Amino acid sequence: MDSIRIQQDDFSIEAEVDALREKSKRIGGIATFLGCARDFSEGRNVFSIEFEQYAGMAEKALFALRDEALVRFDIIEARIIHRVTTVHAGDQIVLIVVGAEHRKAAFEACEWLIDELKKRVPIWKKETTPDGESWVTEHP
Amino acid sequence: MIKVLFFGVIAEKLKRHDMELPVQTGMTVADVVHAAGCEDFKPLLVAVNQTQANDLNAPIQVGDEVALMPPFSGG
Repeated sequence: MDSIRIQQDDFSIEAEVDALREKSKRIGGIATFLGCARDFSEGRNVFSIEFEQYAGMAEKALFALRDEALVRFDIIEARIIHRVTTVHAGDQIVLIVVGAEHRKAAFEACEWLIDELKKRVPIWKKETTPDGESWVTEHP
Repeated sequence: MIKVLFFGVIAEKLKRHDMELPVQTGMTVADVVHAAGCEDFKPLLVAVNQTQANDLNAPIQVGDEVALMPPFSGG
């Protein structure tokens, strides 16, 4: 499995952690971030979330993020998987897995990766609510 | 010609995902934004050939792919 993927299908956290651990026996700490779909946002119910991407650029931006994280932090490997499909409450959306010798760098890189992903990767979400559909414009 | 791509709320409001534009001498990103009718979308993010290029004075050349995008909301 590629370590950077944009896909419709769901993913397995265990499989991704295992794939990361296969990279190096020097990894002593693994941090993960899992983003899931919520059933409530901005004060209203959310039935589903539809994702759109700029195909090609989105994947390129993810590769660039991982490369930058490997330089900025004392980590050994990072994996990023983002789904682009229609999801419902509780469904998995995005997974970041970071392996380092020690936990601090793994935690820091994981937080940095999800923060920067929201700013730099051309993916958009549209929520379906009781009031209709609306594009999400903020990235808190 | 250049290809202009629209995404998210911009594509929805313009009712199109792409268009082609002829290249004028000295054409810039700002000219593309104007010709595509996207001046009122703020904030507006721009990518030229899949690289973010938020300098409105950046030059545009024949064959370029210009994406006009709302702020990202992935994750």
